[in-house]
Amino acid sequence: MLLKVENAKAYYKLEKVSVKAVDGVSFEIFEDEVVGVVGESGSGKTTLSNLVSMNILKPLTLVEGKILLKINGEFKEISSMSREEVKKKLWGKEVTIVPQSAMNALMPTIRMAKYVEHLAHSHDLAEEKLLAKAEKRFEEVGLDPLWLKRYPFELSGGMKQRAVIAIATILNPKLLIVDEPTSALDVVNQRVFLKVLMQLKRMGIVRSIIFITHDIATVRQIADRMIVMYAGKIVEISSMEEILRKPLHPYTRGLLNSVLTPEPEIRKRGISVIPGAPPNLISPPHGCRFHPRCPHVMDICKEKDPPLEEVEEGRRVACFLYSEERR
Amino acid sequence: MASKPMFRFLLRRFIFLLVTYIVATTVVFILPRAIPGNPLAQMLSSLSQVAQANPEAIRAAERTLMKEFGVDKPVLVQYGEFLLKALRGDLGTSISYYPRKVIDLIVPVIPWTLILLLPATLVAWILGNTLGALAAYRRNTWIDKGVLTSSLVVSQIPYYWLGMIFIFLFGVRLGWLPVQGAYSQGTIPSLSWGFFVDALKHYVMPFASIVISTMGGWAIGMRVMVVYELGSDYALFSEYLGMRDKRIFKYAFRNSLLPQITGLALNLGTVLGGALITEIVFNYPGTGFLLFKALTTLDYPMIQGIFVILIASVYLANFIVDFLYAWIDPRIRLGQEE
Ligand SMILES: Nc1ncnc2c1ncn2[C@@H]1O[C@H](COP(=O)(O)OP(=O)(O)OP(=O)(O)O)[C@@H](O)[C@H]1O
Ligand SMILES: [Mg+2]
Repeated sequence: MLLKVENAKAYYKLEKVSVKAVDGVSFEIFEDEVVGVVGESGSGKTTLSNLVSMNILKPLTLVEGKILLKINGEFKEISSMSREEVKKKLWGKEVTIVPQSAMNALMPTIRMAKYVEHLAHSHDLAEEKLLAKAEKRFEEVGLDPLWLKRYPFELSGGMKQRAVIAIATILNPKLLIVDEPTSALDVVNQRVFLKVLMQLKRMGIVRSIIFITHDIATVRQIADRMIVMYAGKIVEISSMEEILRKPLHPYTRGLLNSVLTPEPEIRKRGISVIPGAPPNLISPPHGCRFHPRCPHVMDICKEKDPPLEEVEEGRRVACFLYSEERR
Repeated sequence: MASKPMFRFLLRRFIFLLVTYIVATTVVFILPRAIPGNPLAQMLSSLSQVAQANPEAIRAAERTLMKEFGVDKPVLVQYGEFLLKALRGDLGTSISYYPRKVIDLIVPVIPWTLILLLPATLVAWILGNTLGALAAYRRNTWIDKGVLTSSLVVSQIPYYWLGMIFIFLFGVRLGWLPVQGAYSQGTIPSLSWGFFVDALKHYVMPFASIVISTMGGWAIGMRVMVVYELGSDYALFSEYLGMRDKRIFKYAFRNSLLPQITGLALNLGTVLGGALITEIVFNYPGTGFLLFKALTTLDYPMIQGIFVILIASVYLANFIVDFLYAWIDPRIRLGQEE
């Protein structure tokens, strides 16, 4: 195991209200795996990635829960680290996020090689060594190392994405989190990018990858396991094969159906085949958050929040359809 | 450095500037003529007292004057002549200082204006940006709040008010500094130590009032910009990579400086116009003061002349900015189309 999240709640505490963007999630990431996190826009995926990397700033507050990360062979409770500590010990080396807007993630007015040099200073490494590493990494992601001498804007979108990944993994972070990396790319570049990710993992440059997206069609090509989020909660965790073969949660089913429909229109809009809209996270529905949209809604769903329970080996779902309690 | 896209970029800018220059000079030509009143009338009435009210002589004088200033011709012809002459550097004859040439009146005041405004603008820019960046770096601390509040207050103080308070306090009450002019009346500008000290004493208050009243704006602008840049994607990504805070701040500072440099250069471009109000308040013999006198006497050629020089210098500054910008910002230099 690489990472363990225990009942974490992270709210955006605004003046009068709290947005319960991540509300009691528990999961783990094993070593050497790719985990896809899917869910509609606003379901809390980006917030979850901020939580996992301990980037908890201003309105976002860790209300409850623990996050444990294996550092040098032993588990450290990173949720109790100060931001300074997180920056020093975690980011870049243990965990790196490629943020949702990776296209603008590189400092625009200096050459990328200069940026790498600055990174070397920040980590007290030798400039030439890190530059050499960057050149190698550029090659590994399929970019001519000469591009390092250029400015980020000189690269095309797909190349930029790969350059960002190359730089993000320059210090061999154990856990790489990519947030919607492929949404801005065309199909060809998407495929290239997925290949690059897999290769980085195969070569052991990164150990595990959390791949955040609302696009199941992409994530199924790369992920070993999948976490499905709905309205700030995890509704299902399962291996990719199992979930594709037999989705358990009604929301997951809807999500998959939308991908598998032949009409490209519906496929593009993803979830739209499930009638209704996701709830607002300031005062989410009582009971199961999905119940107002659920085709199988029962009385208990309106009263109680279904816990995330193991129903099969390695398979967890939060739904009373599969729970003892229903009976 | 002078790559092809950069050359194209500069050429485009140059053509753009040329077109707007013509538009601007047109406005300068029309505007003074739109002010009600006839500049010659005043001159003639004073003349009539001297010439013992001989109507024949006055009419003859009027004709000569109208010819001299070219106002007897149709407006379009006047306009054409004005443009042509302006290009040759002939700005015509002043009405209120008749028969002195406008250019001869403007040239001697330019050094005074430059000596006052160039350093004042630069100092205000450097101080303001430093303070603004500092405030952004120490966001939400007392330093930030102090800088922000005082900048807001100071930048809201009307120019003349600050000048008058200075005059009252340091000039009248405390008697430390002379209250008007660029040097004591009766002294002749020379390169002597004594004159230098005298001029310096006159310099302090106008200089300080300009620096103080313009600094706040720079500080606020810089702070906003740096804070914005610090929240941008590259700053976030750099943080995730473990880049040091100082370095990220340097990035933000660098990227915020670009628009500030533009602002500075544009400001420097207007320097030749003088600091109108400051110069009036302190009776400082610069272009602003000259313009003020020209406006009150409806001295068309003088008004036009000052503006033509002003516009030309603004445009020159604009062009230099473009050049600088293309040089600093690789996105422009290398021809990225926005
Ligand atoms: N800074 C913030 N302040 C207040 N609320 C926020 C903030 N950022 C996000 N939220 C809210 O938190 C919820 C989850 O947002 P989040 O960005 O994690 O969703 P997401 O699943 O990543 O969506 P997307 O697919 O659109 O990226 C949303 O309801 C959003 O409105
Ligand atoms: Mg998101």
